[in-house]
Amino acid sequence: MNEWTSYQLQDFIPFTAEVYFRLLERMGETFWPLHLLTLALGAATLALALKHRTRLACLLPAPLWAFVAVAFFIQRYAALNWAGGYAGDTFIAQAVLLVVIALTGWGMDKTPSRTSPPVVMGIAIALFGLILMPLMAPLSGGSWYQTEVFGIHADPTAVTTLGLALIMLRGFALWIAAIIPALWLVVSGLTLQALDSTGSVVLFAVLAITLVGLVWKSIKPKR
Amino acid sequence: MNYRIKHRITRRQSLKLIGATLAAVTLPTASLLADKGEMRQKAFAGTDKKLPVIGMGTWRTFNVGNDPQLLDARTEVVKAFFDHGGGLIDSSPMYGSAPDVMGYALQQLGTPESLFAAEKVWSPAGGSTREQVAELKERWKVEHFDLVQVHNLADWREHLAALQEMKAEGNIRHVGITTSHGRRHSEIEQIMTSEDIDFVQLTYNITHREAENRLLPLAEERGIGVIANRPYDGGSLIKNLKRRDAPLPEWANEECGCTTWADFLLKFIVSHPAITCAIPATTQVEHMRENMRAGHSPMPSPDARQRMTDYIGSL
Ligand SMILES: NC(=O)c1ccc[n+]([C@@H]2O[C@H](COP(=O)([O-])OP(=O)(O)OC[C@H]3O[C@@H](n4cnc5c(N)ncnc54)[C@H](OP(=O)(O)O)[C@@H]3O)[C@@H](O)[C@H]2O)c1
Repeated sequence: MNEWTSYQLQDFIPFTAEVYFRLLERMGETFWPLHLLTLALGAATLALALKHRTRLACLLPAPLWAFVAVAFFIQRYAALNWAGGYAGDTFIAQAVLLVVIALTGWGMDKTPSRTSPPVVMGIAIALFGLILMPLMAPLSGGSWYQTEVFGIHADPTAVTTLGLALIMLRGFALWIAAIIPALWLVVSGLTLQALDSTGSVVLFAVLAITLVGLVWKSIKPKR
Repeated sequence: MNYRIKHRITRRQSLKLIGATLAAVTLPTASLLADKGEMRQKAFAGTDKKLPVIGMGTWRTFNVGNDPQLLDARTEVVKAFFDHGGGLIDSSPMYGSAPDVMGYALQQLGTPESLFAAEKVWSPAGGSTREQVAELKERWKVEHFDLVQVHNLADWREHLAALQEMKAEGNIRHVGITTSHGRRHSEIEQIMTSEDIDFVQLTYNITHREAENRLLPLAEERGIGVIANRPYDGGSLIKNLKRRDAPLPEWANEECGCTTWADFLLKFIVSHPAITCAIPATTQVEHMRENMRAGHSPMPSPDARQRMTDYIGSL
């Protein structure tokens, strides 16, 4: 028997769907009403990005990435999955990266045109992460505590940040800033797929659109 | 010696002997009846110690973190396991919080005499075997492990040597190795032949019977206990049969008392003479009860086992 072909996606996911969704719900129960603040920060970041206040827009999500790293990955998810601690470390690395970009101004797209397709994609993705993702659980019959929110849960934090990056950054910095959020969406999408959740399709769709946006912004000469 | 006893026999003794002989003739039926409500036990690892033929696994099912609601729910599952005469519980440091959850359950329920705590050590060894076992003991909140296995043969030479030392010192009772999904059987065979191990854990179920070719006969020959993991092929086997509402054949009830698919699938496994126990994992008390009942007599004969595999193949 070929050892590698005998592995399935399920073999790498050490918890059941019940436990994973309870974990997301417990984040909601524990931190409510912090959601209101993180959502307000997210909305402010989007507004700043669109007003070309890029440095501040890069800085604002950084503490939220650090918060998700500690509160979600290190304190909770790591109890279920030994890889959770490493995921926490990479989320902290993303927080540091955002601070470095904010301080140095590296790769900033200072005058993003709101009509350029990659920026439109970025706005759509950011709005999706901020507004539609939190509504998905209640709209599909779940409780409000199951709502996944930017700055509290990993998925909307990664999605919104990808959208923001498409608006605010360009060149190499854009790709670097997109790596960790995109990688997390791959891991999360595969996790949801192994748990038989349709949420995976949403994450893979966001990833595909982001990739188109990244390539588009990279090959399109800047006006 | 026997000869001398024969000559000393009195009339009273000979009456007793006749009584005993009569009892022995009727015993098989009597013991089967008595056995009906009790979990079957099998001797293991060439000793006279016995283990209940249904144990339990903890992969995925017991990894609930520190969620109080789910911790209590899993404690109920462990309670049902012991209420039905359960013994071996298998876990691993690879199963996230499962060892801690087991510690929580044992603290709530007390540690029953029948517990046979089976853990694992895994990669990277790097001199960490003792440390891994000590940490797991704290997480389970137990005094000792009855069995420590090398998970998926990770760094097995180093781990096994350290485990043998710990066994010799009386820190752990038995040592073993594990694999699953039919992986690395030839290496498992080599280790079973060349090393002094008490248990091997491998995948054996009605649709995955590769182990019958070499490993199970070898285990019998060498007196190595065999723990059958993935008895439901990770759950898909029994869940598909239940979902499809597949009919349970009547002869299975007549021949070996199968009234549920759990009976059918688990009795098939544990009736193999080389198998010591099967370790289905579950999150549900009702499933646990169903699984435990499968360990009761009667068990399928070799002919019935053949019919069972043919039947599953025909579905
Ligand atoms: N390499 C290794 O060392 C290794 C590899 C694999 C497995 N193992 C060990 O072997 C154990 C068993 O394997 P496994 O957990 O992979 O798979 P398994 O026991 O074949 O299947 C577990 C699944 O079966 C379902 N189930 C259990 N009883 C049921 C019933 N009566 N009716 C319907 N569904 C039922 C459970 O779902 P519900 O929660 O809904 O009941 C669970 O999802 C593991 O937990 C682990 O301890 C070790």
